[in-house]
Amino acid sequence: MSRIIQGAPGEHHLFMGNEAIARGALEAGISVAAGYPGTPSSEIIENLAADASETDVYVEWSANEKVAAEVAAAASFAGLRALCVMKQNGVNVASDFLLHLAGGGTRGGMVLVPCDDPGALSSINEGESRHFARLLEVPLLEPGDFQEAKDMIKWAFELSEQIGNMVMVRSVTRLSHASGDVELGKIPESDAKARFRHTGFILDPEQGAMTSAPVGYKHALQQEKLQKAEALFEDAPFNTYTGPENPELLVITSSACHLYSREAIGILGLENRAGLLKLGTTWPLPRQLVRAHLEKCGRVLVVEEVIPFLEENIKVLAAELAPEIGAKTFYAKRDGTLPATGEMNPDHVICALAAIFNLEYRSAPEQYTEKAKLCVLAGAPGRDLTFCPGCPHRASFWTLHNVLALDNREGFVCGDIGCYSMGMRETGFYTLKTMHAMGSGTGIASGFGKLDRFGMDQSIVAVSGDSTFFHAVLPGLVNAVHHGSNFTLVIFDNSGTAMTGFQPHPGLEVDAMGKPAPPLDIAGICQAIGAKVSVCDPFDLENTRDTMLETLDDRQGVNVVIFRQSCALSPEKKGKPRYEMHLDQKVCMGENCGCNKLCTRVFKCPGLNWDEKNQAARIDEVICAGCGVCADICPAGAITKKEAG
Amino acid sequence: MQVFGPSELLEDVLNAGLCIGCGACVNLCPYFRSYKGKTAMLFPCSRETGRCHAFCPKTEVDLDALSTAVCGSPYSGSPTGTYQQVFMARAGEGAGNGDFQDGGTVSALMKFALESNMIDGAVLTGRNGLVPAPGLTTSAREVPAFASSKYTAAPTLAALNDGFNRGFRQMGVVGTPCQLTAVAQMRTNPLQDANFADPVALTIGLFCTWALDTRGLLAFAQKRAPGEQIRKMHVPPPPAGIIVLETDTRTLEIPLEEIRPLVPAGCRICPDMTAEWADLSVGAMEGKAGWNTLIVRTAKGNSLVRKAAVARYLELADFPRENWKDLETAAADKKRRAFEKARQDGTVNAEAGCRAALRVDPRTLEKMTAD
Repeated sequence: MSRIIQGAPGEHHLFMGNEAIARGALEAGISVAAGYPGTPSSEIIENLAADASETDVYVEWSANEKVAAEVAAAASFAGLRALCVMKQNGVNVASDFLLHLAGGGTRGGMVLVPCDDPGALSSINEGESRHFARLLEVPLLEPGDFQEAKDMIKWAFELSEQIGNMVMVRSVTRLSHASGDVELGKIPESDAKARFRHTGFILDPEQGAMTSAPVGYKHALQQEKLQKAEALFEDAPFNTYTGPENPELLVITSSACHLYSREAIGILGLENRAGLLKLGTTWPLPRQLVRAHLEKCGRVLVVEEVIPFLEENIKVLAAELAPEIGAKTFYAKRDGTLPATGEMNPDHVICALAAIFNLEYRSAPEQYTEKAKLCVLAGAPGRDLTFCPGCPHRASFWTLHNVLALDNREGFVCGDIGCYSMGMRETGFYTLKTMHAMGSGTGIASGFGKLDRFGMDQSIVAVSGDSTFFHAVLPGLVNAVHHGSNFTLVIFDNSGTAMTGFQPHPGLEVDAMGKPAPPLDIAGICQAIGAKVSVCDPFDLENTRDTMLETLDDRQGVNVVIFRQSCALSPEKKGKPRYEMHLDQKVCMGENCGCNKLCTRVFKCPGLNWDEKNQAARIDEVICAGCGVCADICPAGAITKKEAG
Repeated sequence: MQVFGPSELLEDVLNAGLCIGCGACVNLCPYFRSYKGKTAMLFPCSRETGRCHAFCPKTEVDLDALSTAVCGSPYSGSPTGTYQQVFMARAGEGAGNGDFQDGGTVSALMKFALESNMIDGAVLTGRNGLVPAPGLTTSAREVPAFASSKYTAAPTLAALNDGFNRGFRQMGVVGTPCQLTAVAQMRTNPLQDANFADPVALTIGLFCTWALDTRGLLAFAQKRAPGEQIRKMHVPPPPAGIIVLETDTRTLEIPLEEIRPLVPAGCRICPDMTAEWADLSVGAMEGKAGWNTLIVRTAKGNSLVRKAAVARYLELADFPRENWKDLETAAADKKRRAFEKARQDGTVNAEAGCRAALRVDPRTLEKMTAD
């Protein structure tokens, strides 16, 4: 049981933003929650799943975000409240369905929570989901603190039911993963009953079929819903203003940027000169509310992350209102006052405010800054992203790198999304050469594998994780087999969605709620699709190398090689080394011709380090995970392994 | 002789397309490996000097220094190198039978060297389809399995280095001229490291005018005889101008012109036809099927030949004078062509500060390339 269901109404708890969102969903009386893991969103479903037996909520990790949205929509169609959670790019995956869902409407409250990752702290993009609200024509809410994260979810469900459509509540990393004080409300008793009513007139939103057609009628209806939402937004409790009656500058902001803006105004002592309009309802904008504030001030600073979404929407409003309220001067991203990419922070806002108000501001004495720069350059050790000690991916990439070098045809690997994305960097020996969306490695390889007619003779490998396989690899694989594309797909099966915290996927024997579930066999699926399948243990370097060399030589259709080895951090493995490792420094060849620090210079497992004094490698017994792979790469036989007792 | 490191080897040989895949750099360390006839560098190595570079027969081969180390005098440039005696030879009745290319002289000598404990292991080159498969054997009985010419550039020395790693210190090596150039350099212990002392007790060289790139030949064979296994290859003496490929069901005669593009660039700067750095050199015997040409170069080689003959492992006969003339002409032609090509490429006696593939006294060079 997680702590989010403990605590009586009125109590104050320290909640992570994602916990507050999950609690808010429980207080809203949801019956179904579905999502796909992805930082920074994962803890919402995890917390709801942990409490599923107490709360009676059905919780699942769906195969991908589109399916998650469909699962949640079904509950809504059956009259239940349903939550759907994903990271920012998950909305791209789900968007095709979401567009049709928004066109057709919902019944039971349905709230979509995308968690964006400005600055791409745990992503390879900082694309954001807010513009989907405009594209899908559904209301968008953005909590500005932890209390709001909880309260807004409940309010969003009510809104969804009032207008008969899905509502988006967008979080960001700094809200989802930071913690703050939250006053609890009541979690209602559940007596939800599901029934999909479909026998009524086709256009009846409560009794008819659910669809976005006929488009002419439904689209107009959808926009009426949006107008209704806008009217409700005029009095929403999440839009607040602090500052003087007639400020010299109006700062308009939302989400975590509200906290940065408040801090910046405070640090510069501008409380009596700058007004802060914090919006919780950012699409559609509450026209009258925004107008009332624009009227009182000629200059406007918009603070948001990442793309100028709020800025552009406010500018449209300001342009429409200009004949009545006059032209305004805007400071934001488009004029360069604030950076166009990356995370926002108080410093950026302070610099913007200082420039607008013509103030001198230094965050630290110049001397200090200069000295700090020097210290950082000289004193901080270089720490690249790396695979954990005992990570199967290091061994896997070791082999992939080596077989492609041996194959000697400038072969390459099309990468995908997971811990193994780091195969693009030193820790994966720079083996990945393309990396895009979930499943894209296989799709791109499917394309490369048809270019032989244009003289392309390079060996092509795609990689995928086990969870990614179910998420988005299947269509690419089907496409490749059907079109006779030539490449090898390597599936890194580490028994879970490891990067985001071991969430189960359809290949495992358990579901999100911990209940037994029939596992789907990846090898069997690939065979059934028509690929040639083999299975290796990546820790068995020799066998894996030979299998890969054989498949690279095959060049007849699609080969699938499953590298099966659990993640070193998986619950069944963690803290239980398979081998006791020993390194004999007298045997170690060190920098001599014949080795030249292979283990610490190239292989670079963090469990191995270079002993300057003895000019030999040594094992860091504290972090060595006992996988035994280094014993098999040591050319001198200095590293030995013994089955751990 | 100047020794550089793996980065220079990569730049001057592998990336320059001069690697002939002899295997001299393979298995010395974790970085160089051979697969299907091609040598690959798996990871960069930051050492400034390395055996990989020192042994390579395609970079910084100082012929005068090598000749002084092996023969006691600078490189003379004579077509067939330093030698004591030349014979016609073939396997004797004591050596048993095998699928020999010609007279079975090499197999007979290696068997005898193993059985007489002159060597603790024989480094030989077998074949797996068209892919050369080097190996080290300690058993005389296994020697015939490696018989017959391969015609593909083979990583034979990868097996020698592997034998060294496994503790063999008296190995016998059968190799082509490039391979035995590498072995000769290896035997001088260029890094002067006691751990890397000479592990070779006998070298038998094979005459060679060129070899074929393994992968190129595989693709060629796949095109010309799809799905068929090539059992044996054979180049009849001039003026035939063909290579003969024998499959299970037929014999293909292919004009040499068609396979010349498969000769690695590194072969074109090789000045050695008769394996000058070997104890013994063996080749075909023109006009005498079933016999070999046998050049005895060193006292060690001489002793082995005499003993093998006494033990009836080897049958010897006088070498016809006119054949020797033809051989010398062919060997001198190869030398001239090689040095001319190297001069054209700027890879012989490079300017100060630049690296060269071959180094030799400019006067000797002049003599060898004179018409």
